[in-house]
Amino acid sequence: MENLQQLFIEAGTLMLAGMVFVFAFLGLLIVFINIVLVRLANKYPDAVVENRNSSKRNKKKEDGKNVSPAVVAAISSAVTQYRQQHSAQK
Amino acid sequence: MDSLKLLWMSTGLANFELGQVIMMLVGCGLLYLAIARNFEPLLLVPMGFGAILTNIPVAGFSEVGGLLHYIYYAGIDTGIFPLLIFMGVGAMTDFGALIANPKTLLLGAAAQFGIFATLFGAIALNFVGLDFSMKDASAIAIIGGADGPTAIFLASKLAPDLLGAIAVAAYSYMALVPIIQPPIMRALTTESERKIEMAQLRHVTKVEKIIFPLGVLLMTIFFLPAATPLVGMFCLGNLMRECGVVDRLSSTAQNELINIVTIFLGLGVGSKLSAEQFLNGKTLGILALGAVAFSIGTATGVLMAKLMNKLSKEKVNPLIGAAGVSAVPMAARVANKVGLESNPHNFLLMHAMGPNVAGVLGSAVAAGILLALVG
Repeated sequence: MENLQQLFIEAGTLMLAGMVFVFAFLGLLIVFINIVLVRLANKYPDAVVENRNSSKRNKKKEDGKNVSPAVVAAISSAVTQYRQQHSAQK
Repeated sequence: MDSLKLLWMSTGLANFELGQVIMMLVGCGLLYLAIARNFEPLLLVPMGFGAILTNIPVAGFSEVGGLLHYIYYAGIDTGIFPLLIFMGVGAMTDFGALIANPKTLLLGAAAQFGIFATLFGAIALNFVGLDFSMKDASAIAIIGGADGPTAIFLASKLAPDLLGAIAVAAYSYMALVPIIQPPIMRALTTESERKIEMAQLRHVTKVEKIIFPLGVLLMTIFFLPAATPLVGMFCLGNLMRECGVVDRLSSTAQNELINIVTIFLGLGVGSKLSAEQFLNGKTLGILALGAVAFSIGTATGVLMAKLMNKLSKEKVNPLIGAAGVSAVPMAARVANKVGLESNPHNFLLMHAMGPNVAGVLGSAVAAGILLALVG
């Protein structure tokens, strides 16, 4: 019985120490993210992502310019026809 | 006549013991859960099959000279397999949601209470005649971390005899996340709390994602070197993913390597499902304690989120607190699903990934603490 009591005390100590340590460790990680990583993010922004997006956008714009009005009209009428058929089926 | 008798004695039918038959049925049960119910099939299929193989009479799969014996001692006793799996998990993990909202680390920390509270439960089971030492209790309690590799790693170090039952309990409860968590989440939150919409997460840069695993490793080296095997391999996997120059290694770690190791890990754990090690009262105790650990972890995660709402202006949906128990990404999906029930336009998945991956770190830290103080 005394042995069990000892084990309970040990478990209580372990719980207290464990939870304090887990919170302290992950809390420090919050400080690390807020201080180090956020500063790094401001100093070295993601240039690659911006370029990729802008190049995609440009490409889309260029593609839009190259499509002839006749093709656009043909696609639009096909889409309208498809939609009408689709709604009729329903 | 003698040779006929000898032939009969070499058959399985003549050598079967009742315990072996029961454990083969347990193995078949695991296969059923994996194949028919889709419960953690990647691990339960090899584990269930390993359980069948190890209980075959005469074949000696788990005795010296047997295949499963060597798989277990090469990979699990040494801790290599769970660590390689952890590297793969690191390579699959995106810390973006966590870095964008670092407060969610507190939710991951709070959910680890399930681990430490279960220590009491394990010790209390000594009253009903189950003889659990502090090492056993620690190995059982880590089930509350809902992290398979961490549970196997710690159990192999602290209580190898209980490894089979602990692994089965850990993976079973991870598969049962969608059943265990929602009632607890609903019971502890109000309808209006479940409807809380969270602010959109900021963009996280590549540099942040590269420095993060290095920072975590550095902190672990300084404050908890006992956790460096787990955290170190996790960070290596994550760095390989984020640095962008070793895509082949990253891809191998999160696909081929983790798949190969999972097969051996499952077989190795299955080899521990022998009748003498599994068919006893301790297994029942472990299964019960695992459920308690998991439920407490879920509850404390949710309660921590509610506390944060009281103290901070920026609102947190308390449902994402439940994802702090790790079980990536299932727990985050459950938070998202329960949130959508209350508000069909509220997608919490990305927000829940923060506490979810914080839970992985938290359970690795908790395992390190248990190793340092009890091991």
